[in-house]
Amino acid sequence: MSLLTSLAVGILFAAGIYQILRRNVIRAAIGLVLLSNAVNLFLFSAGAYNGAAAAYSTATSQISDPLPQALVLTAIVISMGGFAFVLSLLYVISTRYKTSDSDEVKGLKN
Amino acid sequence: MNTAYLLVPLLLPLMGVPITLFMRKQRRMQSVTALMLMLISLGFSFGLLRTVQTTLEPVQFQLGLWQAPFGITLAADLLSVFMLIMTQLVLCAGLIYALGSTEKVVQYPTFYPLFLALSGGLSGAFITGDIFNLFVFAEIIVISGAALTAIADDKYGVEAAYKYFYISTLASVFFLMGVGSLYVAYGTLNYADLADRIAVNPAAPLGLTGMAFLTATFLIKGAVFPFHFWQPDFHAAAPTAVSAMLSSLVVKMGVYGFFRMTTLLFATEADMLKTLLVVLGVVGVLYGGFGALGTHNAKRMLAYSTLAQIGFILVGIGWGTPLSLAAALVFTFNHAIIKAAMLMLAGAMASRAAVKSASFDVIVGVGKYHPFAGFLFLLGGMALAGIPPLNGFVSKLMIFWSGVEAAQYLSLAIIGVASIVTLVYIIRAFTRVWFESNPEVKPKQGDQLLAPTLLILLALLLGVWSEPLVSIAQATAAWILEPGAYIAAIMGGG
Repeated sequence: MSLLTSLAVGILFAAGIYQILRRNVIRAAIGLVLLSNAVNLFLFSAGAYNGAAAAYSTATSQISDPLPQALVLTAIVISMGGFAFVLSLLYVISTRYKTSDSDEVKGLKN
Repeated sequence: MNTAYLLVPLLLPLMGVPITLFMRKQRRMQSVTALMLMLISLGFSFGLLRTVQTTLEPVQFQLGLWQAPFGITLAADLLSVFMLIMTQLVLCAGLIYALGSTEKVVQYPTFYPLFLALSGGLSGAFITGDIFNLFVFAEIIVISGAALTAIADDKYGVEAAYKYFYISTLASVFFLMGVGSLYVAYGTLNYADLADRIAVNPAAPLGLTGMAFLTATFLIKGAVFPFHFWQPDFHAAAPTAVSAMLSSLVVKMGVYGFFRMTTLLFATEADMLKTLLVVLGVVGVLYGGFGALGTHNAKRMLAYSTLAQIGFILVGIGWGTPLSLAAALVFTFNHAIIKAAMLMLAGAMASRAAVKSASFDVIVGVGKYHPFAGFLFLLGGMALAGIPPLNGFVSKLMIFWSGVEAAQYLSLAIIGVASIVTLVYIIRAFTRVWFESNPEVKPKQGDQLLAPTLLILLALLLGVWSEPLVSIAQATAAWILEPGAYIAAIMGGG
């Protein structure tokens, strides 16, 4: 299971970095989502494997660490807000510059 | 000391966000409420400073009343209070500027709520004692700063906001990776607990990885040389009242991160980091100085100058002696005041030009009808270059003095030579705007000059009577070099 999670984190990171470096702004935004999911999975796996029972249970077996789950929850909400903001910026950019190629969005260069 | 009083300077701006949002129909009331809230929280910050100075231990509050390593700790020690007061002073000036601004953006119903969110994020970032909570406040700063730039009058505002948000989201990914790595290695997120555990076992697996990720994060947040490329675009396109805050305060979050990393979190093995900071600082001073020489836009020139000034601060942190840390703190404070005033003056001149732009081709000769603004600009420029009666002189003197004391002659010589460049670009900007004649210039109403006047007066005051600031900075440097006291105060529960 830990091998599977580490592979998943690695693949998500690779895909996210590949996408974020592309010229199409939509693909780059999807890259951002992939990257934040990769980092969420990484955070989640920080506390996933040392427990056999839920944190709230009264069982005598070792309970799992609930903190990383709380962190991931916060991080998911923040990245959701960030993604919505990026999409709204992209909407304005695509109507204003009439392109989805980030090389064409170069008003600041002058 | 354990008290809920600490929450006031953080909660006032944050509560102001919904309150001012409800007042979106009454523009005047909305702006005055925002300013009043910031002034009250500034007053409370001064109260905090007094408490911390008399008790000599951090004021802290455990959210949810869970004891230190388990809950989220808010803790204001001398360093936090120092940064908090700097932040709120300049934010108040920014709001005063926005009140008298002719830009369309300040009429926007969400301008003041977003501005207060930026204030709340900055205040929170400086008083939190939990590394994940720092991430949350950093996100608040990023989103509100990017939104404020996206609604700017400048038609390239959206593009600049997009660029900045992209880079900052990458920084957030690094930040979360760093937090995750540190949590895996040491099992805690509280600064004090983390510092304690790192000192016991510096070589835990993933510990150094976490340090590397955090370093990259703060380098991006502080716009330090290899990660600086977004900064001039972003700061030049933002509305004047906001760009003054971005260039003077938001980059200071990275600086604050390095203060904490070198003296508290990774104090036992900070040498590697300090060497890196000195090298990057020197490169930043050179790069920022020459970059500012090559620009054709007053706001852009000042944004490049921020790169150079952050370089000076990082060199001071990198040398790491008590005197150089105090110098870096004084430099941080003075730079915030000067840079905010200079950007406001550049923006005020741009608002009086025929076309609204801070490009030198447009604002050439605009100063003809505004000699007082020219006088202020000259004073601010002298402060930036470090010429005697102003506060910039005190900060540069302290940096150079601490360099001599630490016997760091090579880096000292380079930044000494590079700081002369400041004088060149300031004088050039001054002559272009106030001495060259331009037949197309007509008298025109623009942004009011009250806020930059107040800031320049403060700069003059801190230059003539710098003793209080310097002594607080020295006490702060002495305090942060003894991380044991901080750890004991937080872990003891106060």
